[in-house]
Amino acid sequence: MRTTRRFLRLVQGVLLVLLAAYSIFPIYMVTVESLKTVDEDVFGSPFYVRHPSLEWYQNLFEEHEWMTHARIVTRTVPFLVWTRNTAIVFTAALAVILLSSLMAGYALGRLRPPAWRGWRRVLLATFLIPQTILFLPLYKVVFHLHLDDNLLALVLTYPMLAIPFCAWLFSVYFQKLSPDIEESAFIEGASRFTAFLRIVLPMSWPVVIAAGLFALGVISSDFMFAGVFLPNQWHQTIAAGMATMDVSLEDLSVVSGISLGGLPVLLIAALFAGSYVRGLTAAMIEGA
Amino acid sequence: MAQTVAVPSGAKSGPVFGRGELARRRREVVVAYLLLAPAVLLVFGVLAYPLGWLVGVSLTNSSVLDTDTKFVWLGNYAAFLRDAEFWRGSANTLGYLAITAILKMAVGVGIALLIARPFPGRPLVFVATFLPWAYPGGLGAVGWYWFLIPPLHSSYSVFMGDLHLFFDSRLGPGTWGFISLIAFNVWRGGSFVGIFLLAALNGIPEDLFDYATTEVKSAWRKFWMVTVPLLRPFLALATFLSLIGAAVDLGNVYYISGFRNVYPIVWTQAFHLALFGGQWGRAAALSLILMPMLILILFVCYRVFEPLEEDVA
Repeated sequence: MRTTRRFLRLVQGVLLVLLAAYSIFPIYMVTVESLKTVDEDVFGSPFYVRHPSLEWYQNLFEEHEWMTHARIVTRTVPFLVWTRNTAIVFTAALAVILLSSLMAGYALGRLRPPAWRGWRRVLLATFLIPQTILFLPLYKVVFHLHLDDNLLALVLTYPMLAIPFCAWLFSVYFQKLSPDIEESAFIEGASRFTAFLRIVLPMSWPVVIAAGLFALGVISSDFMFAGVFLPNQWHQTIAAGMATMDVSLEDLSVVSGISLGGLPVLLIAALFAGSYVRGLTAAMIEGA
Repeated sequence: MAQTVAVPSGAKSGPVFGRGELARRRREVVVAYLLLAPAVLLVFGVLAYPLGWLVGVSLTNSSVLDTDTKFVWLGNYAAFLRDAEFWRGSANTLGYLAITAILKMAVGVGIALLIARPFPGRPLVFVATFLPWAYPGGLGAVGWYWFLIPPLHSSYSVFMGDLHLFFDSRLGPGTWGFISLIAFNVWRGGSFVGIFLLAALNGIPEDLFDYATTEVKSAWRKFWMVTVPLLRPFLALATFLSLIGAAVDLGNVYYISGFRNVYPIVWTQAFHLALFGGQWGRAAALSLILMPMLILILFVCYRVFEPLEEDVA
């Protein structure tokens, strides 16, 4: 009996190590690849780097238009500009997504206008519309609004990708949240708005984080819209810029760009992963 | 029922409102619609024109080769239904969605069950499993692309090239590209499903599992008769959400590979038809033609995750 239990724990341990390795492996590969010199890229091992160097990262910070690595001349890119643009777009889009989803979720889950279940389903259903060639008519819209080559084009179109689920999440959360919490505030004479701002919102932050992280995941996996709407290199986000570099032929600076662009995300994920799970649980099951 | 004041129970059931109550309820409904407006505008306002355009164009023979655009009603759709190439494409699309969905479910359930119980170092493994999904999909795609279909110069190019040829020569050209796409999507989506199910496991009361365990003895039966039914609504929701991830990843890989990796999947075919063939009418029809199937999937998923949308008992 005791040996079987020990055996099972060993199996679990091995599986856990495998799981962690499987999860990190591609990110690790990208990091290793980005730190290699030209020599080591060709003759070294794919799994580790013997003499790490940051030379490819220099391509990302435009000092000259071209840089020489060993005997290879490569183009540099304005990565800092891209990073700033990405930060602007993501912050603005996230704010729009969270605010409108929070409002819609509260309306559907708490105030429940006629046909609220229908509204919620129709909103969620738009999540399934395949975006394959939708970007073309969308580009016509963007063009007519004179938003092409403008970061606002993404701030306008990204919310559509994330609102369906975020609004759903908030609405099932508010639906399950006990109304007593606000009622006690109403008795004290607070308005619905004050009660929401002072009492409901502060206790709901895991759900806000869950929705926010989900939205971040969705908008950060977009290549298409960013690439199509932002043709000018100096107005691009990281995703758009990376998409213009032909990845299968281009030098290692693409890879270093990826690992640099991924860093803040890893940090955010590590910080908020716990709250993300708590928020999902609260919305889908408990209500508090 | 405790929910009389703050939660007016809508159109469905009717506690009789007094005169003041009625006016208040009416105001509340107006406020509700106002709060709903931005989200609805941002989704339907932005989608309305593009979708309408797609549907409209799909009914014409619009093409860059022919300036004389005519209305052909459902002609494009009918032509596709008679086209063997189309049927192969849609079979591949269904296969791709089904294979990735099943693999993502399997990986997700595995991840969730493995890290649901406490063990030393759990936070670290948890964050690690969170990363594949959190890592920006667009950037991750580039990483996977470099790994599985490496450029000429890297140290593992020969090995990967051999693997590439091995699969393509036995199972037909394009197989390796397909495998790498599936691997990428499962890596990303499996993590998403896993974390989602972990959230579910955290919320389902332990007693439910314990009670069931007294009834069912073998671990295998316990899994199918207890764990799966309890997780089913969450599994359906997570699968629904990651289904579109499969389409997004497909598009991303196609896009970043400079449109070279053409998958025989309906959506890339539509893309190809539009951008390189200039045949807008047919491309639009092709991109919409699977909608009935998607709507069917939607209804099935809605039915299964309905419990999550219920009020607390």
